[in-house]
Amino acid sequence: MADNALLEARGIAKVYPDGTVALRGVDLVVRPGEVHGLLGENGAGKTTLTKIISGLLPPTSGEIRWRGKRVRFSSPREALRAGIGMVHQHFALVGPFTGLENIALGEEGGGALSPVHVASVRRRVEAIMRESGLEAPLDVPVEDLPVGVQQRVEILKMLYREVDLLILDEPTAVLTPQEAEELFSVLRGLAAQGRSVIFITHKLAEVTAVTDRVTVLRRGEVVATRETPGSTAEELARLMVGEELPPPRARAERAPGREVLRLEGFTVPGPAGKPAVQGVSFSVREGEILGIAGVQGNGQTELVEALVGLRPWSGHAELLGKDLAGRGPGEIASLGLAHIPEDRHGMGLILEFNLAENAILGRLRPFLDPLGRLRWGKVYRFARELISRFSIQAPGPRVPVRYLSGGNQQRLVVGRELSKAPKLLIANQPTRGLDVAATRYIRDLLLRLRDEGMAILLVSADLDEVLELSDRVAVMYRGTFAGVLSREEFDRERIGLLMGGVREAG
Amino acid sequence: MKRVAETLTVLVLGILVGALVMALWGRDPWSSYASLLSGALGNTRALMSTLSRSLGLVLTGLTFAVGVRAGLFNIGAQGQMLLGAVVALSCGLLRLPPGLHLVAALALSGLAGMAWALPVAALKLTRGVNEVISTIMLNWVAHWLVLYLVIQKLSDPILGQRTFTVPPGMRFPVIRGELTWALVLALATALFFWWFLWHHAKGYEIRAAGLNPRAATAAGISVKKAMTTALLLGGVAAAWAGAIQVLGRFPYAITSDLANLGNLGFDGIAVALIGRNHPLGILAGAFFFGTLATGAAKMGLRGIPIDMIYIVQGVIVVFMAAPEALRLVRLRRPAAKAKEVAR
Repeated sequence: MADNALLEARGIAKVYPDGTVALRGVDLVVRPGEVHGLLGENGAGKTTLTKIISGLLPPTSGEIRWRGKRVRFSSPREALRAGIGMVHQHFALVGPFTGLENIALGEEGGGALSPVHVASVRRRVEAIMRESGLEAPLDVPVEDLPVGVQQRVEILKMLYREVDLLILDEPTAVLTPQEAEELFSVLRGLAAQGRSVIFITHKLAEVTAVTDRVTVLRRGEVVATRETPGSTAEELARLMVGEELPPPRARAERAPGREVLRLEGFTVPGPAGKPAVQGVSFSVREGEILGIAGVQGNGQTELVEALVGLRPWSGHAELLGKDLAGRGPGEIASLGLAHIPEDRHGMGLILEFNLAENAILGRLRPFLDPLGRLRWGKVYRFARELISRFSIQAPGPRVPVRYLSGGNQQRLVVGRELSKAPKLLIANQPTRGLDVAATRYIRDLLLRLRDEGMAILLVSADLDEVLELSDRVAVMYRGTFAGVLSREEFDRERIGLLMGGVREAG
Repeated sequence: MKRVAETLTVLVLGILVGALVMALWGRDPWSSYASLLSGALGNTRALMSTLSRSLGLVLTGLTFAVGVRAGLFNIGAQGQMLLGAVVALSCGLLRLPPGLHLVAALALSGLAGMAWALPVAALKLTRGVNEVISTIMLNWVAHWLVLYLVIQKLSDPILGQRTFTVPPGMRFPVIRGELTWALVLALATALFFWWFLWHHAKGYEIRAAGLNPRAATAAGISVKKAMTTALLLGGVAAAWAGAIQVLGRFPYAITSDLANLGNLGFDGIAVALIGRNHPLGILAGAFFFGTLATGAAKMGLRGIPIDMIYIVQGVIVVFMAAPEALRLVRLRRPAAKAKEVAR
């Protein structure tokens, strides 16, 4: 029994109805006035644990003590009433409502949006903003705010409800480095006032930057709880991954070859008549990785979807000298473009299909006889080849891909796309949601392909990934390139400013 | 395997609830079920009758199933079936050598089914009209059109309660009892649909488009073409369901109330759901449905109230169809996103 614990979770286990074991008896103690890091890979159980603490999920077993008393929240509302609030990765905001209305909305009892009430809410929210240093415009519909600012509204909403424990699930994923820095100082301020924060992340630098203590989860178990001062990043990495990883592949020195992709004044219409991508020009050459960095939602998705033929666009685009205008996805692919989509489940795979059926998606022709019949023998041979060449952990080619882990699904997508022998590979968020080993595998593979002379367009919201892999980096902000930097000019600070829309002079 | 177990479970549940209904009605459920079974399967005559009734259901079941595979909720089988029947019948007005006459009737009937499916595809793909709406409307157009033709243009000059009968050279030869060689047409069509969906590139594309239109489009598959193919193939199958009612079953005509065509098109939906939208499952589903229908008719002859029989039959069918129906609802949620793609 820990004295002076605000929250104490003991032996929390969670088995999902489909049999997935997410947590295997986890202990977590959060003290008043601390920022407590929850570190772990994707799938380690961080989100599940906090969903249980915040009343969104019932635990399969285990108990939670809140201010020393045993509690069992049956809904997030109950937890909120007790003083526990969680900000999820997907915000719970009503788009057309203003920040103030969103904050007032959650309150119990009728008349949450009556003018009198809203006015009193405004006074209190303004006081909270002054106190915490967390500023957000209150009278703008939240859908018009950048994601980073929407997040502040979410946090203000929780502070307005006077939570004593604030849970943030991977809050920096949608922030520029500078915005993340500001968030950290806000969190430290909250801790100084005696409130507690659970900060979920899989980034070591963030743990050392903001937390007082850290609990490391791996495969549903706690591997360690440490005081952050005195722990090194290497030590935490080892705890998180459970093994030493080989060092990343060194990039070969090579001069880029001929131009493979060239865009000029490339414009993609977005919702409500505003262009999502506005007059972007760039080229990608053989043996080069062009990275596109930027906070999510600045036009990267639209740019890629237009390039592969899934969206209308205007301007000029050519692949190996062939104009892409008016060509559909199949035709563009046959010109030598392969695409690792950001949304593996929605666009990269057909989850109900088995591994072999997915392995030939978009490349049927080599597997057909002249009458258009599928030669299943050949398909299965090819699938087995992919399994061994890309080290896909699967019981066989007949397994529905739904049952593969994210990392293995991604290996399948990557293997399939590379089997098309592309001249240009577009990799959109290629490691999102993957564990450390799979991430390393994909990144090393991209570098190797680059060394072998492939042209690669890498889009990633993970700045570290972009900086590690790219030969040049373009920063996207509101549909345009805020700047293009070559490897010698890489500088986190500068890129961070560009990501936030601070343009360079000249 | 899991699906077989699931099907058996719901079958037992359906039978138990049906028994409860009969018990509440004051009837002995088990003897009623026994008379249903013996009425449908008890002797060769009954069995042939049951098989014969199942054939049309196989074909309309295939229509719905291939639509589902392409991500469509195609309920146009009824109209296509009616039209297929009347076109097949009208071929009786032509003079052709026996045998060839039958082939020609099937060909024209199949074309008519396709023609009735074409506007569904065209409206969906050019104007984004939901296929549920267009097929319901076309079903009614077909209903009144066929009724008009049957009563005004094709009726028998002496026996007003039905049309003229088709010449013997245009009929399916009898195998035994009520069963004719239409059996082979139904089986071959089911087999073809299975082969097409799982062994042909176009079938692969239909399944891919139905399960994940976004991924299919990204992979260069034309979702529109896949949907059109599925609608046209379904049109042929449904039209043949109507054709074999005329060419392969007594009275080799269409009754003036269209009763011998019945609700084949709609019953096909239930059959497809029972058969999990798989061509081979549909064979079993249609036989099951045919058993209930024939057995129910025989129970009626024994003085068991027809309403009760319908209720019991409905209860069992609803139970049997429920798992697949629920699965479809779940599948359709992500499919909603794909509407843009399909347009």
